[in-house]
Amino acid sequence: MISFILFIAVIGVSISNRSGLTAPEKFLRDTTGFVQQWFYKPAGYMAGFFQDIGNLRSVYDENEQLRMTTAAYARDKVKFNAMEQENQRLHKLLNFTKAQEEINDYKFLFAQVIAVSPDPYNQTLTINLGSKNGVKEKMAVITDEGMVGIISKVSEVTSTIMPLHELNDQAPGISATALGKQQQSFGIVSSYNKETQMLQMTKIAADDPMTKGDTILTSGLNNVYPEGLVIGTVESIQDSDFGLTKTASIKLAADFDHLNEVLVVQKPEAIQ
Amino acid sequence: MRMQGIVGLTFLAFVVQSTIMPWIIPGEFAGRIIPHFTLAVVLFAAMYHSRHSALLLGAGFGLLQDVVFRGHLLGLHAYAMALIGYLFGLLLERRRSTMMMALVIVAFGTLLYELALYFVYKVFQFTQESLSWALVDHILPSLFLQLAFALAAYIPLRRWFQNLAMNRYSKKEPE
Repeated sequence: MISFILFIAVIGVSISNRSGLTAPEKFLRDTTGFVQQWFYKPAGYMAGFFQDIGNLRSVYDENEQLRMTTAAYARDKVKFNAMEQENQRLHKLLNFTKAQEEINDYKFLFAQVIAVSPDPYNQTLTINLGSKNGVKEKMAVITDEGMVGIISKVSEVTSTIMPLHELNDQAPGISATALGKQQQSFGIVSSYNKETQMLQMTKIAADDPMTKGDTILTSGLNNVYPEGLVIGTVESIQDSDFGLTKTASIKLAADFDHLNEVLVVQKPEAIQ
Repeated sequence: MRMQGIVGLTFLAFVVQSTIMPWIIPGEFAGRIIPHFTLAVVLFAAMYHSRHSALLLGAGFGLLQDVVFRGHLLGLHAYAMALIGYLFGLLLERRRSTMMMALVIVAFGTLLYELALYFVYKVFQFTQESLSWALVDHILPSLFLQLAFALAAYIPLRRWFQNLAMNRYSKKEPE
């Protein structure tokens, strides 16, 4: 009975006071993380090796495809350089401040995943970067395919990622927009439905031009998460319960299992 | 094999279930088959050693899980694992469980643990899914992995825990 009261008390404390970690917690997390990284990476290499053998046949085709993509990139690069110069010239004309200039100057920190939580309702990932490397809470985490999650807890040399599919109504949502319609489109990615495996995007205006198949990006409007990270694609749009706004179901872009390397997006210091 | 050995072994189980298992489980079942190896070790400790060691192991490694993968709540795993370890220890400590018995107990313990997790998360509204969906989606698939682990680890774990228990009794007798 006493233990039950204690249990309720501990849970209550952990719900109400949810920011930051105490020193013993940090120590325990870092030491465990230190041991875990010896196991996770070799296991990943082994799994990757067997997968590579299986993929041997498709490598030739993939190579061909990649060459085509590289050619396309080279073409775009020329365009991009011209556009960047033009952009800088216009910024100068409009007298941008230094903070405004640097607002999209993101740094990407390369991190290794070292463990996956064995809890079905709390599938967090642990990475091998911490506050020592400049990781802070609420930074976005991406892979080459798209956004994976948000840094939820940070200790000295490890930190915890809350994946997008752990988003629920208790956590604040992510403001998002559709690719190519950034100015007209807006919604909030708020929760994940495990049964349909779709993210819910709510508070979309009734006259929003968003359609099925659009790519959803972070909008960066709330100044917490960076701008332009791919979240997923729209699968369907419905009217919400009251008919004033619309709700969209979004299929996640990133693949969450067998993650090995992720990138932590670090926003410039000035605006944090 | 002393108690330190058991703690080390449980830690190894903890590390393996969070690092190596995600790679072994095929992609289609990621997030559906969830290993609970530390719980299996705790249940074996309850059956073949004593309820107190099960209580301590459960509370310790549950807390480790809570802290390392700090998500929504703190202390849930510690409480659930310690309680389940202690209860089964209370029921079965003095009996000599056979292999079938051990497997059934591990299955029941895991089921109870998963249900406890589900209901606590449901009460605090961290999950909205229905119980029947949760059962089919991850509780039952995880159970199969848990049984396979219990079967594989049955002989070494039982031997270690019984040696440990015997050492304890033989030490007590001369006094």
